Amino acid sequence: MSESSRLKFYCDENRCIGCDGCSVACAEAHELPSGVNRRKVVTLNEGIEGLEYSLSIACMHCTDAPCEEVCPVDCFYIREDGIVLHDKDICIGCAYCLYACPFGAPQFPQDGAFGTKGVMDKCTMCAGGPEETNSHTERELYGQNRISEGKVPVCAAMCSTKALLVGDSNEVSNIYRERVLSAGHGVKTQPYGWNVAYGSKK
Amino acid sequence: MANTWGYGAMTNSLGDIQNAKAIIIFGANPAVNHPVGFQHFLKAKERNNAKIIVVDPVFTKTAAKADYYCRLRPGTDIPFMYGMLHLIFKNGWHDKNFIKDRVYAMDEVMEEAKKWNPKKVEDVTGVPADKLIQITRLYAQSTPGTLIWAMGLTQHSIGSSNTRLAPILQLALGNMGEEGGGTNILRGHDNVQGATDMCCLSHTLPGYYGLSDGSWKYFASSWGVDYDWLKGRFHTKEWMNKKGFTLSRWWAGVLDGKNGNDKIHNGGTNLKNLIVMGNGITSIAQQAKVKEGLDNLDMLVLCDPFVNEAAILTDKQDDVFILPAATQFETSGSVTATNRAAQWRNKVIEPMYESKADQDIMFELAKRLGFYEQLTAGMKIKENKKDFQWPEDATDEIARIIKTIGLTGWTAKRLKKHSENWHMFDEISGRGYGEMKGEYYGLPWPCWTEKHSGSPILYNINRSVAEGGMGFRNRFGLEHDGVDLLAGKGSAPKGSANIDGYPEITKDNIEEVLGIKLTADEKRRIGKNWKVDTSNIIAEKCMQRGMAPYGNAKARAKVWTFPDPIPLHRESLHSARPDLVKEYPSYADKGNHYRVDTQYISKQTEKDWSKEFPINLITGRLVNLNGAGMENRASKYLAALSPEMFCNINPNLAGIHGIRDGSMMWIHSPEGTKIKVKAKYSYAVSEDRVWIPFHFAGHFQGEDLSHKYPNGTKPYAVGESANTVTNYGYDIVTQIPETKGGLCRIEFA
Repeated sequence: MSESSRLKFYCDENRCIGCDGCSVACAEAHELPSGVNRRKVVTLNEGIEGLEYSLSIACMHCTDAPCEEVCPVDCFYIREDGIVLHDKDICIGCAYCLYACPFGAPQFPQDGAFGTKGVMDKCTMCAGGPEETNSHTERELYGQNRISEGKVPVCAAMCSTKALLVGDSNEVSNIYRERVLSAGHGVKTQPYGWNVAYGSKK
Repeated sequence: MANTWGYGAMTNSLGDIQNAKAIIIFGANPAVNHPVGFQHFLKAKERNNAKIIVVDPVFTKTAAKADYYCRLRPGTDIPFMYGMLHLIFKNGWHDKNFIKDRVYAMDEVMEEAKKWNPKKVEDVTGVPADKLIQITRLYAQSTPGTLIWAMGLTQHSIGSSNTRLAPILQLALGNMGEEGGGTNILRGHDNVQGATDMCCLSHTLPGYYGLSDGSWKYFASSWGVDYDWLKGRFHTKEWMNKKGFTLSRWWAGVLDGKNGNDKIHNGGTNLKNLIVMGNGITSIAQQAKVKEGLDNLDMLVLCDPFVNEAAILTDKQDDVFILPAATQFETSGSVTATNRAAQWRNKVIEPMYESKADQDIMFELAKRLGFYEQLTAGMKIKENKKDFQWPEDATDEIARIIKTIGLTGWTAKRLKKHSENWHMFDEISGRGYGEMKGEYYGLPWPCWTEKHSGSPILYNINRSVAEGGMGFRNRFGLEHDGVDLLAGKGSAPKGSANIDGYPEITKDNIEEVLGIKLTADEKRRIGKNWKVDTSNIIAEKCMQRGMAPYGNAKARAKVWTFPDPIPLHRESLHSARPDLVKEYPSYADKGNHYRVDTQYISKQTEKDWSKEFPINLITGRLVNLNGAGMENRASKYLAALSPEMFCNINPNLAGIHGIRDGSMMWIHSPEGTKIKVKAKYSYAVSEDRVWIPFHFAGHFQGEDLSHKYPNGTKPYAVGESANTVTNYGYDIVTQIPETKGGLCRIEFA
């Protein structure tokens, strides 16, 4: 990634079909207890002609993260690449971050046998937590650490229409920019090919 | 489809949809049922300015991404398409040269289309006249346009007419054999195309060879078994040539006409045993009848990785066997995608616990029934082996035998190479590059020879046959009513030695049609015709001459062997419009229809169904569940997205019945059955119809059958099967159930 940019999510509303592939992939990969939705697909005006839209929402890993600002025990930390994480050993589960978050990202699992993800839980952009990278404890508390393995976060990897983009914000905006600029400019068939190109009837 | 131009399969591919300038979708919901494939629709819209038009009784997630949406009354696709044709012919938007050279009997379609002016169409379909005009103009003038359909078009008593008129619409506009055109039928499940090609059906041999004596003899010799031995396996010889029961009506075969059920013609006996392999029979129509059928079996065997809920549905206590079948990850072999392309799958792990792969279950069964040697003989023929290697030798056996759809090129070796090098193919055209140059991904059939490229777009005369080009198949004779059925002058595929229409190639006509001379040796080895020519001389010679082995003929708009030679509108057996039932009545009842006497007009006119059952009932799919849902509902995270069976109901309709959002409601069907489901307010459905998903099982007519699941096998989500209330009604040609055109009555529960 470039030195001066951060990792970001972007969901293209023209492409999102609300299939929930992202949210199921996320839950499956991190073995989330039921009721914890690190990522959720929101569909607005369902069934209404011309007004129905779907978007996939999770923690947006804000640059000036309100959760971090308001946390009374200062459990949040922001990595150099921009991923916003928190330390579950410090978190007291007060839900003040939920008040501050504009996206409803923080989740609060029930404690007990299945509430193994701890106090507050949220999207880690598949980057684990403060525990030793790829350790058993990290996996239990925060889920997979795909970033450390050079993998794309599982939600975007699974996205069926490539509506959900994630990565270096420069790259994300390059992809989206290309989408916008190429709109209406014809099919993107690769220039290589055999000698006989597409024929035309007329 | 097959009766129109030769093959009943998707003509282009999902990737090719990106080339379209307009996409019209009838009775399909790819955003939900093909979410990955739907990216091509979105890219066509994004990059190619393609307009998406959705014609569907409910506002789907696909409609949410469309430019135009038409809310069609269920079962009126034919009037809608005739309405389009009416305007197309009237305004001269049709492709006159294409029709002249490549279509038979379009004039008769023109006559019928005259009756369907926009006002008339509005009355029958519920789509406003100005919307029809707007859409037709847009679709006719944005070429190439592709036409998409799925079960919403086929699952009607007139399904076989629906699926003929859609191709006719594309033929009228000259949208066939074009990049970005075609009729792209979306197969609903993994390997459905492959299962169809191998004929997991009761009316033909694998590869669509039919059931004639000639076909049986071809297969007997190809399988390396004695024809008389095969014949001896049947009750009497005549049963070799008869169609069997269908998936939708097997239960009638068990019930044998008792208690008012439809009479059967099954050699004086009923069906006694049922073996189900990977089929969610709890997602087929008339579930109460399915249950009755199950209850009356002598023996029921279910082979599935999860508990097939037929075992839960039935009250049968003895002789129900649940065999653990392996999943796709525990076995290997080729599967066929919706676009006729093959893909090789590799085994990831050995079958777990006691489970066995499907073929091993069948081998064990064949051993015990005493014909294992015959079952496996065909796999050893090619290399004269003592033993066979699964699945490679099975794939090679298929390639050796199936000529009709051109599987000659599908050797295990080639298919594996494609899957291993899938990154070396263009996602849109399927063209290979680098080492894979000269081949299309997955070798979409017909793949005529072991060197052929595959045919990504059927009936494309802009490419040479060696590169996947072809005209329409010569399948229906050389002439009909004195009209030549071969293609017009100059309309042969590019580079053809014969530039005009020509018949399918046989031993007798090959020298004349191809303009070649065979050697004495070739004459000795060549098969009778291209379909049974195991020497493959016909295909090889055809490639050299740039000609398709199956000929170059006209597509036909008129199927003279069908009850309606030109597709006609007929109201569903249970129609909400009694006035239109009088005007467009169903067919006469049909005896011995796949062995079952089937009702049409008598059921339709038994009473005015709409009085008691005024609401249209539509079933469909959810994105997180598949088929009968037994696999997905056993997944915690998938089940969480739709934990309960529900019914989409318009708040205005619900309000009349005192049904609140989230309260329970009853849905009653004309069959006297009912289901209890949760109401979900939705504006996706209008006030005259309700929509229910068909993936649930485990409840039956209000009763929770959960206690019947073997320990630890109950899925996370159970509920009423939508098919407990789907109505009687079966297609006149295929027996596909009319699940998309029924009626119901609702009440607060």
